[in-house]
Amino acid sequence: MRPPRWTSELLLVPALVWLGIFFVYPIGRLFYASLFTPAFSLGNYAKLAGSPVYLKVFVNTFEISVTVTLVTLVLGYPLAFLLATAGRRASGLMLVAIILPLWTSVLVRTYAWMVLLGRRGLVNEGLQGLGLTDSPLPLLYNRLGVTIGMVHVLLPFMVLPIYSVMKGIDVELLKAAQNLGANRRQAFLRVYLPLSLSGLATGCLVVFVTALGFFVTPALLGGRGDMMIAMLIDVQVSQLLDWGLGSALAVVLFAVTAAILLAVQRLSGAERMWVRVP
Amino acid sequence: MSSMTRRYVLKMGVLTAAASAATRAGGPWIARAQSKQLVVCSWGGAYQEAQRKTMFQPFEKETGIKIVEASPTDYGKLKAMVQSGNVEWDLVDVGDLNVVAGAKDNLLEPLDYQAIDTKGVFPQVIHKYGIGTIYYSTVLAYSTKKYAKGDHPKTWAQFWDVGKFPGPRTMRNNPLDNLEFALLADDVPIDKVYPLDVERAFRSMDRIKPHVNVWWTTGAQPAQLLADGEVELATSWNGRIYAIQKQGARAGLEWNQGKLQWDSWVIPRGSKNKDGAMKFIAWSTQPKPQAAIVNEIPYGPVNQRAFEFIGAQAARDMPTAPDNAKRQVMVDPVWWGEHRNVLVERWNAWLLK
Repeated sequence: MRPPRWTSELLLVPALVWLGIFFVYPIGRLFYASLFTPAFSLGNYAKLAGSPVYLKVFVNTFEISVTVTLVTLVLGYPLAFLLATAGRRASGLMLVAIILPLWTSVLVRTYAWMVLLGRRGLVNEGLQGLGLTDSPLPLLYNRLGVTIGMVHVLLPFMVLPIYSVMKGIDVELLKAAQNLGANRRQAFLRVYLPLSLSGLATGCLVVFVTALGFFVTPALLGGRGDMMIAMLIDVQVSQLLDWGLGSALAVVLFAVTAAILLAVQRLSGAERMWVRVP
Repeated sequence: MSSMTRRYVLKMGVLTAAASAATRAGGPWIARAQSKQLVVCSWGGAYQEAQRKTMFQPFEKETGIKIVEASPTDYGKLKAMVQSGNVEWDLVDVGDLNVVAGAKDNLLEPLDYQAIDTKGVFPQVIHKYGIGTIYYSTVLAYSTKKYAKGDHPKTWAQFWDVGKFPGPRTMRNNPLDNLEFALLADDVPIDKVYPLDVERAFRSMDRIKPHVNVWWTTGAQPAQLLADGEVELATSWNGRIYAIQKQGARAGLEWNQGKLQWDSWVIPRGSKNKDGAMKFIAWSTQPKPQAAIVNEIPYGPVNQRAFEFIGAQAARDMPTAPDNAKRQVMVDPVWWGEHRNVLVERWNAWLLK
């Protein structure tokens, strides 16, 4: 590999400046605030460690994020496959259908789920009308409601990276595999799936990390046991004005997330994560 | 009267937030350079509309001081403004508790009571760093579809009695607006509620917890949930129930054992138009503007002389109407100011259990 010339390094400058001002500096301030509010001490972190609330909320946050990632994967992978293999017109329409919700406010979409999933919502009325259930099912204000709402918001972030990788996979390869004696299942598992893995990994990471910081959806669709870390941070920052504790929570969330990302990258190999294989 | 939904919108709609921040940052500054302008931040919604019509516009006309509006009130933002020395708001409508908390954190300017005529103003809303804007109540609300007026639960003990009064319930996700009711449900007399017996209150909350379907976080939620039939019993701020009644929802409210509280005007420390803010406060606490706003939206005037200008029927619907007020518990913001942070943490632990 040739060493990069100074011009190509220069191309990095805008991105680095951007990162420095809008990412590194604020995170640094956050870290500082968590240690120096009001005066230097580890008190804010001691408080986090000393109370079972924070641990429970962290566990909640990761449980919900993992569930949402898995569900979006199960829904998103076949969808991406369909999108990548459909005809031009059909895939164009499907793409619009997938991207369109991104232009609607999350708040609006969350309220829409309240209308659909409520005790007197469309789903429950429909089920009761068909005689499938006698009383309304609890679809809202619990983990199920949170999962449904978040999966809806995050699905495009799973589909799009997988789709972009799948677009680059030559479907003739599947036929070639079958020609060489593989059955359909083997052809998929040993040829197609490995080729699409990088998109799958990117999709999972994007969805998981975004889910960790979710706020509106769990606050409005969740029950008492579904508190997520961003909700606690909001309470500290805008209601209780305890910025030290709020910062400490944010720093811990940041650190744990970074650790998970690094671990996943180490395990799966950085190359496979970020570079399109085909 | 937090309209937190608005904050969510701002947080989520990055573009909206950026755009409105730009107008907020730019607008008042440019305006102030021209003449003395007053930037007032309140809660938005129907409440701020009423303030605009009955207070901001008449005040502007009378004094020539131009009012620039902002919303919603956000304590985090208020603190950030004062600490960074870039104070955009001159006058802010805050909950009673945040006068005490704001004074403790040194975020507020003391009021100049030489310039404010407090004759007729209820003494408990007069604070060194803030003065009442209106009274409101957190009350027991119910679906009139499920419970005919008169057959609804009228006390918190009855609200707690799920055998006699079945139906899904919603309560606020906050120790505020709950612990007092928990004690009343446990037969603590209304005049013995403060200082709160926290242990007893949480034991009482344990009993109602399994029957609460939704823990609301924004003021619009309980009204919405009642209107949609999602719940049949609720705790709610009284103005919200009035608003859905006007839209035809079948909902009622019970004043008995409600919790009476108030909002306050405060001036952030470092406000660029302290004098204008003080002038507005002095003007808006007088009987006529006080009557005008509560005739527009059914909250209670902080000046009792306002009742001279309020119709008899309207007066009966207000939280501070004598018949309503005497059956309610009056909030103790000083007690809450001291215990709130600890109780919020305990509340969250309790909810998750």
